[in-house]
Amino acid sequence: MSDIVYPPSIPTDAYRKPSDKFRTRSGFFLGFTIILVLVGAVLGFNPFMLIYEFHNVQDLADRALPPNFELLATQRSAYASLAETVSMAFLGTLFGGAFALVLAFLAAKNTTPSKALSSVIKNLFALERALPSFAVMLMFQIAVGVGPFSATIALTIGSIGMFGKLFSEAIESVDPKPIDAIATVGATRSQTVRYGVIPAVLPSIVSNWFYAFDVNVRSAIALGAYGGGGIGFQLVLAQKTLRHDDLLAWVFFILILIASLERVSDFLRSRIIKKGALK
Amino acid sequence: MLRVQDLCKTLPNGRKLLNGISFSVEKGEFVGLLGPSGAGKSLTLRCVLGLTSATSGSVDFESPDGNTHSICDLRQNQLRRVRCHIGVIFQGLNLVQQLTVLENVMIGKLGCIHPLRSWLYGFTDREAREAFEALKEVNMESFAERRAYSLSGGEMQRVAIARATFQKPSFYLADEPVSNLDPKNAKAIMKILAQLAKKTSVLGVFHQPDLIAKYCTRVIAIKGGEVVYNGDPKISPRKLADIYGDELQELEISQQNGQELKQMVPATG
Repeated sequence: MSDIVYPPSIPTDAYRKPSDKFRTRSGFFLGFTIILVLVGAVLGFNPFMLIYEFHNVQDLADRALPPNFELLATQRSAYASLAETVSMAFLGTLFGGAFALVLAFLAAKNTTPSKALSSVIKNLFALERALPSFAVMLMFQIAVGVGPFSATIALTIGSIGMFGKLFSEAIESVDPKPIDAIATVGATRSQTVRYGVIPAVLPSIVSNWFYAFDVNVRSAIALGAYGGGGIGFQLVLAQKTLRHDDLLAWVFFILILIASLERVSDFLRSRIIKKGALK
Repeated sequence: MLRVQDLCKTLPNGRKLLNGISFSVEKGEFVGLLGPSGAGKSLTLRCVLGLTSATSGSVDFESPDGNTHSICDLRQNQLRRVRCHIGVIFQGLNLVQQLTVLENVMIGKLGCIHPLRSWLYGFTDREAREAFEALKEVNMESFAERRAYSLSGGEMQRVAIARATFQKPSFYLADEPVSNLDPKNAKAIMKILAQLAKKTSVLGVFHQPDLIAKYCTRVIAIKGGEVVYNGDPKISPRKLADIYGDELQELEISQQNGQELKQMVPATG
């Protein structure tokens, strides 16, 4: 064995020294802490408030417990509210998905009839994503009145923006070779879409649709609070009339509703995708 | 059946991809197209199908009703009608992976189906029965309900052939149908193609001179966008070396035995 010969000096740019890395890391955390404190100051947060105002939480617990589960028996509108919220989310997701699907084929680079149309629709999608559903609902409340209808329109418009982007990207990522192969048997453009593009994008469309439905149920609750109706409205009502036991009961109902909807949609989604029920 | 005359394709930058390709294919022939990668084999097939428009030259195709169609001059609608008579056997990987095997075969008839029907109803029971018969001919009937992505390369290739035969064309074009297959599957596919060629005609791109020598009735070699050989499928090793040029010479240094030339020809490209 020969003696190990160390190089006389290590070039400084060969690697980064651990102490340098530590300094960068500390600097990052320091900067992050400063931002956190600044943001807290802007919003007027005081972490100690949680401690010396804790009796409020106790008060709330006293008033809210036990939750008024009899609500479902005594209040006849309870079931209607649950159904209303789910229906708003369902219709919003369905119409949003349907419009978005048609628009996505016009927007995707590989299926669009013209490039100008594609960019117009893509910008439209971006605009719809940028609009808060809440603002859309308030505008439509002026046009069609307070109630589930304006909330459904708001959800539809929000869904179009989200779905449009997801669907058109799914269409653009379809492998072009099978589509060329279909064109060689003399198929029209629309037939290549029907048998080449749709089977390839259907699984992702179905999963996205169910996911968006779950998200939209939650949005429908929030929109309901501002005059959209449904559970959201019941929540606000319970809070404003100081029926905190009702409020807690509603929160439990919402939890059960969303958990069971997720189970159902998981089941349906796997049925549709694995068994190819839609083809 | 098919007459290709003076086919030229020049890129906008002046590069010539096809430089006056002329040949013809008659009924009952199994013609193999051979040549180094980038020689213009696949491009020639694309021009025959009208997928790529040629710069100059003509492609005349005689359909079974006796009419001759000049493919280079046809508009989209007429082109689609002519394509119904040409069965294209592409590489098996070009199946629609999410559809079942039977659905992939039925796609072969899309050219004869009104678009409205394919959207509102789909294929008929009778078409499904016929497609199943086409699958039987390539021994794939037990795979009818399987999704295409679950098949092996050789099985996909058989399905691709079934799609073309289901179309009942009078002429077959095959673009590297055996490139991704092991020798056993490649031979099986070549046998099926040779069988098809007896009643119709087959023009295919292959990279295996040994398979061409065994199954084809004629071979056309293309190099640098020109036809350099047109005749007996049993090509002499010297001629083969000439066709493949540098690509083969590099291999020759390691193995100087001329008899093994057949195996040395690159299998892909």
